[in-house]
Amino acid sequence: MLLPFIFALHAIVAVVVPSLVRVMGSRAFLVASVPLAFSAIWVLTQAPGIVGGRPVVASVPWVPALGITFDFRIDALSLAMVLLVSGVGAVIFCYSAAYFHAGERALARLAGILVLFAGAMLGVVTTDNLFALYVFWELTSVSSFLLVAHSDHKENARRAATQALVTTAGFGLLMLIGFILLGQIGGTYRISELVANPPVDSPWLPLALILILGGAFAKSAQAPLHYWLPGAMVAPTPVSGYLHAAAMVKGGVYLIARLAPGFADVDPWRAMVLAFGLATMIIGAWRALRQDDLKLLLAYGTVSQLGFLTLLAGVGTHTAAVAAIAMLLAHGFFKSTLFLTVGVVDHQAGTRSISRLTGLGRRMPVLAVAAGLAAASMAGLPPLLGFVGKEAALEAFVPGHEAALSTPVAAVMLTGIVLASVLTFAYSARFVWGAFADKQTVSGFPFPKPSRPFIAAPVLLSATGLLLGVLPFAVDPIAQSYASPYSGSGYDYHLELWHGFTPALGLSVLLTAAGVALFWQRRTVTKVQNSMPSWPEAEVGYHLFIHGIYSTALQVTRRTQSGSLPVYLGIILATMLALPGVRLLSALVSGDVALPDNDTGLRLWDNPLEIVVALVILVTAVATVREHRRFPALIIISALGFGIAGLFVLHGAPDLALTLVLVETLTTIILVFVLRRLPANFGTRPNGWAKRLTVLLCAAAGSFIAVSLWVMSAARTSAPISEEFALYADEAGGHNLVNIILADFRALDTFGETIVLATAAVAVASLVLLNRRDRVVDETDDNDDIAVNETEADAAVLDGAAPNSVAFADSPADHPRKEG
Amino acid sequence: MPTESFETGRPFIAGPGVPDESGGLPEGWEAPRERWLSTVVRPAFGPRSVLLEVVARLLIPAILVLSVFLLVSGHDRPGGGFAGGLVASMAYVLRYIAGGRQELIAGLPLRPNALLSLGMLIGCTAAGLPLLFGSPVLDTAKWELVLPVFGDVKVLSALFFEVGVYLIVVGLVLSVVAALGARMEAEEEEARTEQEQRIARQARRTAQRSDAVRAAESQDTPQPPPMNPGGETR
Repeated sequence: MLLPFIFALHAIVAVVVPSLVRVMGSRAFLVASVPLAFSAIWVLTQAPGIVGGRPVVASVPWVPALGITFDFRIDALSLAMVLLVSGVGAVIFCYSAAYFHAGERALARLAGILVLFAGAMLGVVTTDNLFALYVFWELTSVSSFLLVAHSDHKENARRAATQALVTTAGFGLLMLIGFILLGQIGGTYRISELVANPPVDSPWLPLALILILGGAFAKSAQAPLHYWLPGAMVAPTPVSGYLHAAAMVKGGVYLIARLAPGFADVDPWRAMVLAFGLATMIIGAWRALRQDDLKLLLAYGTVSQLGFLTLLAGVGTHTAAVAAIAMLLAHGFFKSTLFLTVGVVDHQAGTRSISRLTGLGRRMPVLAVAAGLAAASMAGLPPLLGFVGKEAALEAFVPGHEAALSTPVAAVMLTGIVLASVLTFAYSARFVWGAFADKQTVSGFPFPKPSRPFIAAPVLLSATGLLLGVLPFAVDPIAQSYASPYSGSGYDYHLELWHGFTPALGLSVLLTAAGVALFWQRRTVTKVQNSMPSWPEAEVGYHLFIHGIYSTALQVTRRTQSGSLPVYLGIILATMLALPGVRLLSALVSGDVALPDNDTGLRLWDNPLEIVVALVILVTAVATVREHRRFPALIIISALGFGIAGLFVLHGAPDLALTLVLVETLTTIILVFVLRRLPANFGTRPNGWAKRLTVLLCAAAGSFIAVSLWVMSAARTSAPISEEFALYADEAGGHNLVNIILADFRALDTFGETIVLATAAVAVASLVLLNRRDRVVDETDDNDDIAVNETEADAAVLDGAAPNSVAFADSPADHPRKEG
Repeated sequence: MPTESFETGRPFIAGPGVPDESGGLPEGWEAPRERWLSTVVRPAFGPRSVLLEVVARLLIPAILVLSVFLLVSGHDRPGGGFAGGLVASMAYVLRYIAGGRQELIAGLPLRPNALLSLGMLIGCTAAGLPLLFGSPVLDTAKWELVLPVFGDVKVLSALFFEVGVYLIVVGLVLSVVAALGARMEAEEEEARTEQEQRIARQARRTAQRSDAVRAAESQDTPQPPPMNPGGETR
C-alpha cells in the first residue's frame, strides 16, 4: 500500500525543498513536483480497479483510544480529485520553476508550504475518516493562509490572507461540530459507512448537514461567503492557479459530492445546495463580466464555476453526478490553464489589465491558442471537455428527466444555468479578447517573449482538456463509477460529444448565440452594469462581524480590567467569600461538617512562648494597617512574617521557618528597591463607606480562612499518606522528611516548580528588555531633536562669515556616539 | 572637562568621585574580579557605609559556604537546594547593597540567565538520567563512599537535582535584583547623565553661536586680521 508512503514523501520533500531553493534557486520546484507526479502516476495505475468498483483502501491508527484512524479510501470521486490535486499540481510546480526568479522574496518558504499544502489536499480527498478530513481540511486553510500572505510586507496581502483564514477556518469549526453530530448519530466516523447507511431518522441530521454545508460553502467560496476568493488573488499567480482553480476551493465541492449520495434527499440539503449554488453561479459570472484585471476576472469566474459545481455535486441525481465529475475535471484543466496564461502575460508584459494589453496574440501565438482553447472549454464549446460537461449538466435539469426534481424546480434551475452560462460565455470571450486581441485604443509596448518551458505548462493543461473532450470515454468510466449509487432511476446518461438532437444541444446553441451577442454588445453591457445600483458588498458582513468581535472584546476588557489593584484584590476575596465561604457557612449552620471536638480542637497554647509570638504578630498586623508611610509599613509587615516563622519554629518545623525567614528577607529587600520609585506615603486611603467595606471584606476573608483551616484539620476521613513517608525515609537515604518529600517523594512537583521559577526569571528579564526598548525609542526622539538643533547650528555658522572649526569638529564626534 | 569621554568613545560614567580614563570603572560583565569592594564604591542606597562594607567583606564568603552546607546537608538536617540558593543569593544582594551595581556585576560568576539555564540543564539531567538505566523519572540512587579526609560520605543522586534547584533560585533572585535594583539604578543614573550632557551641550552651543557672531562682526570691520582662514576662502 503506497499511499502512506506518498504522504511521507510529501512531508520529506516539504522539509527538504527550502534548503534546495537556497542552493539551486527556483529550479527546486522541479524537485518539489516529484511527490505530486508520483502520486498522480500511481493513482492512474490504480484507476482501472477503482472505476471497476474496488476502491484502494489503507489504514493507519492514530488515536486508537478515540477510534480515530487515518483511513484512506480512493474511489472514483477521489481518483478525479487526486488527478487534479497531484496531476495539475505537478504541472503547476514545473511552471513555477520558470515563473519565479531566484531572487524572489521568501521563495524557500513558499516552496515548502506549497508541498505541504499539496500533501494536505491529497489527505482531504483520500481520507475516509471525518476527523482526519477535518485535520487535513484545516491544514489546507492554514497553509493557504501562509501562501496568500506570501508578500508579507504588503498590508493588503496580510489582510486578504487573514480574511480567507477567518472565513474558511471559522466555518470549518462549525463544520467540525457538524461532523461530530453526524458521527454521533451515525455511530461511526467513517465516511463511506455513513454514506452507505445514512442516519436519516435522527432529528439532529438536518442541523449536522447545515453545519457541514456551511463549512463546505465557505471553502468553496459560495455567495455570500465568496468575498475571500477575489481578495486572495494577491497571492503569486501559480499559487492562485493551484489553490484557487485546481485544488483548495474544490475541497468544499468535494465534500458535497462525497456526502451527496447519502444525504441529498434529506431536507434541507437539496434546497440549500441548489439555492446557494445557483445564486453564486449568477453573481460570480455577472461580476466577472466587468473586471478589468484578468486575474480578478478569472477569480469571479471561479466563484461562478464553483457555484455550478456545487449545485451539480449536491443535487443528487445520476446525470448531475456524471456532469459534476466532467465539470470538475474540465474546470481544473481550463481554469488552471487560464491562470497560468495570466501568469505568463503578467510576467512578460508587466501588467494584467485589459485596458493596457494589446497585440499579445501576435507576439505569443502558441499561448494564445492554448488559452483560447481553455476559454472555449469554459464557455462550453465543442469539442472540449467543458462542452461535454455542460451538455450533461443541462441534460440533468431538463424537466422530467430526473424523478428527484419537480418540474418547476428543474425549470427554474435550467433557466438559471442557461442564464449564467450565457454570462460565462461572454466573460470567456472577454478574457481572450482582453488578453490577446489588438485594440485600436491601446498603444502597444515591447516586452520579452516567454521561454518555451514557461508556456509548456498552460499548453499541456489546455491540450489535456481538448484531448479528454475529443475522447470523452476516458472520463466516462470515472463519472459512471461515481454516479453508480444513483443508477436506480433508469435514466442512464453517458458522457459523449454527440447525443443527437437533444434539448440540451438546442440550449447549447441558444446560449452560444446569446453569449456571442452579449460579447458583441459589450459596451452596452458595461453601460447597463454601471447604471445598476451598487448592491451591498458581501465583504461588509465580514467587516461588521470582525468589528463586532473587537468592540465586544474591548467592552469586556474595559469593564473587567480597571487597573486598580485594590479592586482586583477585592474581587478575588469577594469571590472566595461568595463561593466556598457561603458553602462553609451553610455547612456550619446545617451541621454538615463535624466540628473538631475538645481533644483535637482548640487549645490556648502548646508552649507559653507562643503567647509572645502571637502578641508580636497581632501588634505588627494592626500597626501595618494603621501605618501611612510605605517604608515603615514594609518593615512592619516583614516583622509580621518573621513572627509567623517563629510560630513554625515553636511547632518544630525548622525547614519551613528557615525558608520563610529567607523568603521574607529577600522580598523585603526587593520591595525596598521598588519603593525608591514610589511616593513615600500611601496616596489615597479609602474613607467612609469604602473604608467600612474594605474592613468588612478583609475581616470576613480572614475569618473564613481561619475557620476553614480549623474545620479542615478535623475533617480528615482517611489516614494521611505522610505516615508512610517516615517508613520510607530511610530507604530514600535521609532523615529530613521535608527535604525528602521535596527531593524524592514529590520530586516531580519540585521539578515543575523550578520550571515556574525559571519562567518567572525569564519574565523579569523580558520586563528589563521592555524598559530598554522604551529607552531606545526615547533616544531616537532625542536624536531627531539634536539633529534639528545641529543643522540649525550649522546654518547659523554658515550664515555667519567664518566656518567655525570647533563646530565642525564637534558634530561628527557627536553623531556616532548618539547613533551607536 | 566632562565632554572628553565621548570623544574617545568610551562609555561615559558620571557622578561624583568618578576617575577619568586612567582608572575608569569597568563597564560590562567581563569586569576584572579583583576589584572587590575596592576604592570606588557607590552603594545602592544612601551614603557609603564603611561598617557595612567591612561586614559584607567578612561575611560574604561565610554566607556562601553556609549556603553550600545547607545544600549538601539538606537530606538529614534543615536546608536543601531551595534554602541554600536563597542564602547564596542573599550574599550577592548584600554585596549589591554595600557596593552598588558595579560591584554586583563584578562579583557574579555567570550571568543570571546562564545560571538559570545551567540549573535547568542539571535539573533536567538529574530527572531524566534514571530513564537510561531503566528506572522511573527522578529515581534516586545512593552511594556510600569512604573518602580520605571526610570519612564515610553518603552521596544521594537527589543532590544533583538539588544543585539544579539551587542554581535556578540564585538565577531567579539575581534576575530580579538586576531588573528591579541595578537596572533602575542605572536608568536613573543615565537620565541624570543625559541631563547634564544636554545642559553642557546647550551651553557650548550658545558659546559657539556667540563666537560665530563675533567672527562675523570682525569681518565687517575694515581691517580683517591677516591670519583669518575665513577671510581667505571668501
